Amino acid sequence: MFEQTEILTVSELTRQIKQTLEEEFLQITVQGEISNFKPHVSGHWYFNLKDSGAVISCTMWKGNNSSVFFTPQDGIKITVTGRITVYPPRGNYQFDVRSMKPAGIGELQSAFEILKQKLSNEGLFDEEFKKPIPSLPRRIGIVTAIDGAAFRDMISIARRRFPLVELVIAPSKVQGSGAAENIVESIKTLNRKKDIDVIIIGRGGGSIEDLWAFNEEIVVRSIFESKIPIISGIGHEIDFTISDFVADLRAATPSAAMEIATPDKADYFAFINDFLYNSRQNITNLFDNKKNRILDSIGSYGFKMPLDLLRRKSQQVDGIVYKMSVNFDKQFLMLKNKLSLLSKSLESHDVKKTLEKGFVLVKQDSKFITRSSKFISGKETQLEFFDGEVNLNS
Amino acid sequence: MTKKTAKDTFENKLDRLEEISHLLESDEIGLEYAMALYQEGIELSKDCISTLKVAELKITQLKKNLDTLTTDEENFFEE
Repeated sequence: MFEQTEILTVSELTRQIKQTLEEEFLQITVQGEISNFKPHVSGHWYFNLKDSGAVISCTMWKGNNSSVFFTPQDGIKITVTGRITVYPPRGNYQFDVRSMKPAGIGELQSAFEILKQKLSNEGLFDEEFKKPIPSLPRRIGIVTAIDGAAFRDMISIARRRFPLVELVIAPSKVQGSGAAENIVESIKTLNRKKDIDVIIIGRGGGSIEDLWAFNEEIVVRSIFESKIPIISGIGHEIDFTISDFVADLRAATPSAAMEIATPDKADYFAFINDFLYNSRQNITNLFDNKKNRILDSIGSYGFKMPLDLLRRKSQQVDGIVYKMSVNFDKQFLMLKNKLSLLSKSLESHDVKKTLEKGFVLVKQDSKFITRSSKFISGKETQLEFFDGEVNLNS
Repeated sequence: MTKKTAKDTFENKLDRLEEISHLLESDEIGLEYAMALYQEGIELSKDCISTLKVAELKITQLKKNLDTLTTDEENFFEE
């Protein structure tokens, strides 16, 4: 308590105020809402902490704020510890924050919603910005913690499905302070490399605080700006970070992300087997087709026609020859008969002339008797005169 | 200039197999051409299968940059 009559200088007054306040409020914990948050280029944070009745300006030096796992946003409630400091030249007091955390899970949720809405309004999650994921990657970049299970899982999946791919790992912290900066750096590093076809950001399951780095604005923006497509595989099925919304593709887990990024060599084996089977079928069919065309041609009417013609003609010839031979035989027979008839008649004609002269033909037993020695007396005899026959009974 | 890697040609071989597959399905293909394609397809298939079978996963790890953390507490009220 100071004596009212003592006249103090301003400096002295302020010095006493400083001493009083700084001693009194050496280690305090305060809860309030952030406003006017400004991270300085130097790394120091400047903001106000307020409630409905009062406001106090705060500073958090780079050395202290680097351990904060989240980037404060206006509107969220935080719990801070630290001390009061008085700055005499300006005549004001402020709260020098040593540690900071969200006032509750609910605060993180709010921060999440606020940032997500802000970035969504900027269009960062729009479909038109999403890049297609290549189907047959040669090199896959991975941003992950190399001491994590996520890392081991992703490797074993790549090895099983498609060992032909090359994995390029950009190690990074995936939680806690500095994680967001690490992740951003890793994404940028992979973008500078040549021939990386897709990047997977992988991190195993955890609480909202554990996964918070993936809700940080700098991480989300660096995913958006990445020239290489990014698949996010963060946490478990139910976990959604803002990184999941901005990524070109979201996978439920790091393992799922690697499954998506890699083709399955089993599919290629199947494709090749199908090819071998189908192409053999096609070739066989082709051969059969050609063969059938040849057979068809040979069996066709056009092909057979000359042969048919030949056969028909030869059959005709046979017929004609047969007819000819039959006719010939007939004719021959006819002529032979005619000839014999004619000669007989000729013969008989000669004989008639002789008979006309007065000679007589003697017949016995229907045989002509031309010599007396042949004559049998007492036998019945026929005498053939020119004008007829006479019978002589013996 | 990108170096031609095993994966490059693997992808090309698969594309060619697909191409041959379509060609062999067409009706108007000549017999000698079909035989040549089929032969090529068999060779490519053998290649691809063996590439897949012998492949070993290659892993490259990039060096992590060391964080530089300073703990200097600068003056109050820096603008």
